[in-house]
Amino acid sequence: MDQKKINALIHYLLEGNSQEAVIYAETLLNEGMSKEQIIMYGLEEAMLQLGTKCTVEQFNLLEIMLAGRSVMEVMKCIYPEGTFPEETKGTVVIAALEGDVHDLGKNILKMVLMAKGYRVIDCGKDCPIQRLVDTSKEHAPFAVGISGLITSIIPLVKQVRNALNAQGLDHIKIIAGGAALKQSLKEQLNVDFVADSAFDGVHYLEQIRGS
Amino acid sequence: MNALERIVSTVNFHESDRVPVIPQVFGHAAALSDVPLDEYIQDGNTIARCQLSALDYYGYDAIFTVVDVNIETEALGSVLDYRKNQYAVIKKYALSDDNYNIDHLAVPDCKKSGRMPEILKAINLLKKSLNNDILIVGCVLGPLTLTTQLLGIEKALYLAIDAPERFEKLLDFSCQVITDFGLAQISAGAHLPIVFNPSASPAVIPHQFFREFEFPRLKKMFHAFKANGSIANWLHIAGPSDSILPYYSEIGVNISNFDYCVHPQTAMTALPHTCLNGNIKSLAFIDDNANDIRSASKQLLNTFSKRGGFILSSGCEIPKESRSENIAAMVQAAKLYK
Repeated sequence: MDQKKINALIHYLLEGNSQEAVIYAETLLNEGMSKEQIIMYGLEEAMLQLGTKCTVEQFNLLEIMLAGRSVMEVMKCIYPEGTFPEETKGTVVIAALEGDVHDLGKNILKMVLMAKGYRVIDCGKDCPIQRLVDTSKEHAPFAVGISGLITSIIPLVKQVRNALNAQGLDHIKIIAGGAALKQSLKEQLNVDFVADSAFDGVHYLEQIRGS
Repeated sequence: MNALERIVSTVNFHESDRVPVIPQVFGHAAALSDVPLDEYIQDGNTIARCQLSALDYYGYDAIFTVVDVNIETEALGSVLDYRKNQYAVIKKYALSDDNYNIDHLAVPDCKKSGRMPEILKAINLLKKSLNNDILIVGCVLGPLTLTTQLLGIEKALYLAIDAPERFEKLLDFSCQVITDFGLAQISAGAHLPIVFNPSASPAVIPHQFFREFEFPRLKKMFHAFKANGSIANWLHIAGPSDSILPYYSEIGVNISNFDYCVHPQTAMTALPHTCLNGNIKSLAFIDDNANDIRSASKQLLNTFSKRGGFILSSGCEIPKESRSENIAAMVQAAKLYK
């Protein structure tokens, strides 16, 4: 493994330089590194460093968006449209619920999860609970992530647990995050975890997966 | 001392009869009057009627014509979705092509465009009813927030990095739109337009970004408002604003909102000569009870008792579903614990 090139990939991912990050990912692929290794040693490491930085310093979305965009470009390069890694750490279904059309937080969670090696099914914004439940039945996730920027969706968030349970999906963990939801306790939202940030949410998921 | 005099005195760190109290009652005024929110946000008469009822019911010191964050972008061509009893949301952005060409956009005529005339009507009605007894607060967005509302927050922020010149051109255009709208509100009778700027929160952008792009434009806007009769410059940036508070004095901010996640001591240290308003958690007005709110209010009043320059308030908008006894508890606290 060419550590120098891996470090360069991490550097450009963190810098948000998609073009250079993709060039290094392609070079590593051509030199025989597996896609899984690129995710594990490149993308995951970059997200780990970004997560640490955002915890220690000021957390801001722009920096994460830029790194996330680079991660997505590298993912597109190594897994062309419509294909997924054969082995993932598990599936997570994410959504912004009906009435909430703000999906920046959800999109950031998606980028971080994908970079960490999870399969993500995105139900989009303004998503009815029924669609979230149907998608969960179809894709068998171990967790559902709900992002919420406005307080008016809180009553809907509280209903998700019962809606999943009614379909025998009691085992699915629910995490909530976003400016509005993170003001509440998990008991108030009837969820398993309230994340302070995307990294906080992913950290919880890593813990329950034992990785 | 009436409410307006109380606020002016507090902003200037002079003696007043008590600490002013300003719950950020926007859509909650509609709920209190049993008016569907979608009707409220589209009609100036209804805004004024509901706001006056809420003022009468609670007895606080300022009244708002804040409805949602889409007034300016709608006036510029964004298409909104008005949903039953909800705030409107953007269905199609004014700048939806990939070039973000603003050459076809013109600064809107505030008397004719979108809901701008309804806001001006509401302000005018409030002025006729309240004159100079109560602070009448209009509202404009900050330049970055309007820019994000013109093309979507992700696209706007990527544009700032990928094509900074085009981004700055957009910011300048936004600044002009906002300045015109703010001045129209002052002419209609607002004592000031609060500048509501959620996209400029350090939760979204680094403070260096704020310093480079937003700072000079806010400064220019506030200067124009003050020069045209605004009694004070009020900046509202929610979230963890700690890292940008030190810039506020130079921008010309006279009243700084601080959210629940900013410690009062941090705000006081960053802005020793600026009036602060905050910072009870918005969601507490739904989740907590009147005793909790009374206790949180009392604690804030104690914290600021020696310093002055403080307006008791929520950290951000009071949700429309809030318990009215909680809002009343905050107002009572300001009146009881002088």
